[in-house]
Amino acid sequence: MTKYKVTITNRDNVEYEVDAKRPILDELRDHGVDLPYGCKYGGCITCAAKLTSGDVDQKRQVALNNWQLDNGYVILCVARAKSDITLEIGTESHDKLYRNPFLEPLKSYQLKADIASKEDI
Amino acid sequence: MNKVCCGPGYASPIEAINAPREKLLYTIAIYTGTGIQKPDYLATVDVDPDSPTYSQVIHRLEMPGIGDELHHMGWNACSSCHDDSSMSRKYLILPGVRSNNLHIVDTATDPKAPRLYKVIEGAEIKSKADLSGPHTVHCLGSEIIISFLGNAKGEAPGGYLQLDKEFNIIGRWENSMGGIKFGYDFWYQPRHNVMVSSEWAAPNTFMPGFDLEEVGHLKYGRELHFWDFEKREPVESFYLGEDGLVPLEVKFHHNPDSTHGFCGAALSTNVIHWWKNSDGKWQWEKIIDIENEMHPEWPIPLPGVMSAILVSMDDKYLYLNNWLHGDMRQYDISDPHNPVLTGQVYMGGLLGKAPEVNGVEVAGGPQMFQLSLDGKRLYVTTSLFSTWDNQFYPEIREKGGVMLQIDCDPENGGMKVNPNFMINFGKEPNGPSRCHEARYPGGDCTSDIWL
Repeated sequence: MTKYKVTITNRDNVEYEVDAKRPILDELRDHGVDLPYGCKYGGCITCAAKLTSGDVDQKRQVALNNWQLDNGYVILCVARAKSDITLEIGTESHDKLYRNPFLEPLKSYQLKADIASKEDI
Repeated sequence: MNKVCCGPGYASPIEAINAPREKLLYTIAIYTGTGIQKPDYLATVDVDPDSPTYSQVIHRLEMPGIGDELHHMGWNACSSCHDDSSMSRKYLILPGVRSNNLHIVDTATDPKAPRLYKVIEGAEIKSKADLSGPHTVHCLGSEIIISFLGNAKGEAPGGYLQLDKEFNIIGRWENSMGGIKFGYDFWYQPRHNVMVSSEWAAPNTFMPGFDLEEVGHLKYGRELHFWDFEKREPVESFYLGEDGLVPLEVKFHHNPDSTHGFCGAALSTNVIHWWKNSDGKWQWEKIIDIENEMHPEWPIPLPGVMSAILVSMDDKYLYLNNWLHGDMRQYDISDPHNPVLTGQVYMGGLLGKAPEVNGVEVAGGPQMFQLSLDGKRLYVTTSLFSTWDNQFYPEIREKGGVMLQIDCDPENGGMKVNPNFMINFGKEPNGPSRCHEARYPGGDCTSDIWL
């Protein structure tokens, strides 16, 4: 069983080992970390966290647009660790998750994958 | 008054109007998406001015888990079962939009302190009916149907879940979704064998938040659908185009003989009116068009975002909100082709016209509302949906939602904020929460349908 280390920077750099085969949300909750979540299938961003180093597999997420992905967001309910990773969790990490769509419209390459243009990706 | 039957609700809209006034109401309040790790809850609000706890939350029923995002709700029975003495308006059904769980709450054993009766797990609904993203609940005689906006993967158009009166899953209600692209709200008028449904978006589109660009990419709806109610299939659709971007709430007249109904197109901020003409054909027209407003600091004009509409029990007034502008409006729709603006008040909103109401800074704008049966008291809340709140009104995280009450004049028209009523959900014991839809134990203006 492959295990990786998760460091949570906004929880005093606490470290946990997670199973690479299970969603990070489930693994961290089993360790007693209190995390927000909603749909549990990668569709709603309630559980979004910011990945500041390392790699995850989150190909099952359908909630994030390319702007959010470029800002490092990962959907913990479906993401699996692919290396040791560092996360910022909870709504404190959501500073670049939400934007007012009238004030800051997205460019076409920043949209969700199914409708984004291919330039600059 | 017809004393023969003793089922729930009222024999007719006029009897509902003359019912005793509401003393309690129920509203849901959310922590999902707020950063507070607590369950969403059903709040009991004291609305009896003679009570020492008037204008306060007097009970909170927490859901069993976090992350539901409670939103709309509905009764197990309404006036459509008035002739059935074995039925009663006892259970309130609270769907979790994100979790997919349906919470069945007993409000009759102790109306002030509702208790959880049963939970239908989201996973069971996904496996038995391939549905997610529950929204509108209507009773259907003794059974219940609930619109779901997606399949188990959160993809549109979803469909309708049917429950029996013991809250067992029967399965899908509809025989076909036809060519319908999206689901949202619905209302039915049995004497005309018609149901009308509207379109928001797929759960995977609206749950993460709103993007204008996704409207342009046809990820949001712009059609209304007319169903053969008995055959349970759509028979006619109206493409509303730019006049009908994101058509959300649908309401028929309460008069069960009427064919007139209304829909609020949220992003276009228009009211669409439909009716059946003398040839038996359904017609539609735009009857209210709220102009975009310039915001002093924004590059593009601001739409009102009409997320809800409501028709008074006497079918005389239509109420609507402009969530981003910050106003509630009352229109006289005695002639449904020619509405007349008769009342308007501001609370919150992005235009800065009423940042403070009754001594409380209002985060958000008027969003959901419920009208008393007699048409005199309109209860208004300010949060739309956690992720959308976080985009447009980020300060609602710290300030929470509010519930206000507007006094309405059903004789001459007119609205004004009741200075004695304010529930500040920013001061809740577990921290700022956000209230949304409200229902009264004795029925209200969005629950009852007559056969």
